[in-house]
Amino acid sequence: MENSQDPNFKELYTIPSHSSWFSWDDIHQVEQNSLKEFFDASSITRTPKIYKEYRDFIICKYREDPSRRLTFSEVRKSLVGDLSLIHKVFLFLESWNLINFNAPKRDDDDDYVGGEDRWNVRVEEGAPYGVKVVANPNSLKPVLPPPVAVNGTGNGVLASPLASFKDRYAELAKVKKLVCGNCKGSCDSGCYEYIKDRSFVICLECFKSENFGENKAAGDFEFNNCSRSNGNMGSAWSEAETLLLLESVLKYGDDWEVVAQHVQTKSKLDCISKLIQLPFGELMFGAGNGKPRLWDASDSISSIKQVKLDSSEVSDASNDLKNENEQNGNVEDVTPPQKRIRTGRVPDASNSLMKQVSRLSMMVGPHITSSASEAAVAALCYENLCPREIFEVNDDGSHKLGSSENEIQRASPVKDSDMEERHATDIPDASSMNIIPAALRMRAATATALGAAAAHAKLLADQEDRVIEYQVAKIIEMQAKKLQRKMRCIEDLELIMKKEDVQMKELVESLLSKRMNVLKMIFSAGISRWGDRATVTAHAPSVP
Amino acid sequence: MKSHSTWGVSKNPVKFRMPTAENLVPIRLDIEIDGQRFRDAFTWNPSDPDSEVVVFAKRTVRDLKLPPAFVTQIAQSIQSQLGDFRSYEGQDMYTGEKIIPIKVDLRVNHTLIKDQFLWDLNNFESDPEEFARTFCKDLGIDDPEVGPAIAFAIREQLYEIAIQNVSSARESRISKKGRRGFEHSLPSKAGGTGLDLMKLYGFRSSVIRKRKEWDVYEPIVDKLSKEEVGILEAKEERNA
Repeated sequence: MENSQDPNFKELYTIPSHSSWFSWDDIHQVEQNSLKEFFDASSITRTPKIYKEYRDFIICKYREDPSRRLTFSEVRKSLVGDLSLIHKVFLFLESWNLINFNAPKRDDDDDYVGGEDRWNVRVEEGAPYGVKVVANPNSLKPVLPPPVAVNGTGNGVLASPLASFKDRYAELAKVKKLVCGNCKGSCDSGCYEYIKDRSFVICLECFKSENFGENKAAGDFEFNNCSRSNGNMGSAWSEAETLLLLESVLKYGDDWEVVAQHVQTKSKLDCISKLIQLPFGELMFGAGNGKPRLWDASDSISSIKQVKLDSSEVSDASNDLKNENEQNGNVEDVTPPQKRIRTGRVPDASNSLMKQVSRLSMMVGPHITSSASEAAVAALCYENLCPREIFEVNDDGSHKLGSSENEIQRASPVKDSDMEERHATDIPDASSMNIIPAALRMRAATATALGAAAAHAKLLADQEDRVIEYQVAKIIEMQAKKLQRKMRCIEDLELIMKKEDVQMKELVESLLSKRMNVLKMIFSAGISRWGDRATVTAHAPSVP
Repeated sequence: MKSHSTWGVSKNPVKFRMPTAENLVPIRLDIEIDGQRFRDAFTWNPSDPDSEVVVFAKRTVRDLKLPPAFVTQIAQSIQSQLGDFRSYEGQDMYTGEKIIPIKVDLRVNHTLIKDQFLWDLNNFESDPEEFARTFCKDLGIDDPEVGPAIAFAIREQLYEIAIQNVSSARESRISKKGRRGFEHSLPSKAGGTGLDLMKLYGFRSSVIRKRKEWDVYEPIVDKLSKEEVGILEAKEERNA
């Protein structure tokens, strides 16, 4: 128990997100409810303190080697107390996966109904993706599993620490089909989108027959040509095409109409997205075009965050951008969806960031960096659920806009301002959805950098601690030595004193004996004592 | 105070029963007729109707192809042991706050088991069978007879102590007549075998055992060879 609370001793362990209540220093309500007998003060053999000792010991024991399965028989020999009670605690901890989480399944496990089923359930719960760092329980919210998780990568291995949004959700984006909210038919040719809730869509037929659904009027819908959006999006690029694209980009800058014409086989959108996907695409943007439009480098990041929906400011910010809201002809009075200009980050900002990350990860150990990036990605996945929704909806709605003015960015009415600000850099670009992975990657990198920096700081602090401890120990040692020396001095002094004492005594004795000798000699010489002599001399005159 | 606690409350007497979740009585049979010996151990639910006993005896004899004379012997033996148990039923059982050490030292076929652990007599949720199952699973014991044997050994010891507690309750009732007022300390003093709880659970001590004591409370399982079993059996015969 002592060890586990020693800050120098902290290691990272994963526990499932549904056990996130666990804390070394506290007993949670869940524990109190499940193991009431410890908390009803019915006996001195069952107190919260004893429970905590049991719990901490069992968990520590498991963590000595998390890869093996801890058995009850192993634990109980070291715990004093009622066997059944300890067993209950053990089962409780096991059921919450606080122990034996990473351990291999026992194959002869007939206590748990349907071993294989249980395993699957665990995957659905999202445990692997919801793993969290115990040392800092409040930093992450439980994370919902991204859809990729379901098809069985299973055991909690993240695809790659910095997997981009695109990598993760590409399948989803492709698979997504629009289904009419009224007739449930698929809207292949085109559809009308309900602007208040972008997930609601009706097909052309339903719109024409004014079959809008409850509480919705014609004015709330906006035309959306899905056939284009689902068209040749996913088609692969050949090498020749890519070369052609690069060539034409170098030649024409970001005049995408011309570029697309040059590439011929691909649409303008495809060209843009491909270029961004290319590893050096962002560089091309920065260097290749003389007249930056999409990437307005003059705008600082902070100003991006504060971009308001104020249209005057919007038009002011960049003259090239036209805030044009193309509406379907027969819905004139529609309130235009809120729009705003979005300026991407300066591309080299990400480069320096990457450098920062790599520098930071050089400083700390690789495992710390990897766990930091893992945590970062997990947090991003959680956060980006909202942007993803926006993304999915806008994906359809925007291509129409994109066809005329692809620079226009549309932010959907994000719920609260805080969110808006946080996602300001993330809100998907309507036309080029590949900015999302870029932005995401950037955020992931930022988060990783922060995490790594925090870990490094922690390490430094720990080191400092150790140094201080060491110094204090040293000081104490020195003091002890000093005291010892003093003691020795005092002892020496004492010895000397004793010696002197003895000498003194000897001296006294010898003096005495000398005196005796003198006296004896006097007596033997017949000389009277001083007193006698005095009387003699006193009497002398009387004697004639 | 909760009225329906599954935990015995030390101050209030409980009606006599097995101090486990299931009120099952350990029954041991050892019958010898004409040189044929039948030994067995199992648990019996005392609330089952007595007619079951004879049915069980008959079936056992038939299944094991024993001479018919065994039927009455078996039935009688079970009946008398059940009778013993029932004679205590209805009496008060003062367990006090008592945690007792239980020792298991068994040989089942080729498996030798030695173990020691603590058992709370007030825990009416305890389940020796469940414990035995976990034990066998944890230690990888395949022999299906081992688990029940361990559970039985635990039950037998619990039963014995439960009986002691009834008689100690009797003593305390007698001594109570002489005095006025009730002394709670009496039943726990009378128990004798219980551990000193204050020593174990006091504020100063930790419930984590000292490392040197781990071996004492560690289960030991030995697999015996056929020869060893033969030697042991011969020894047991001689002792009997």
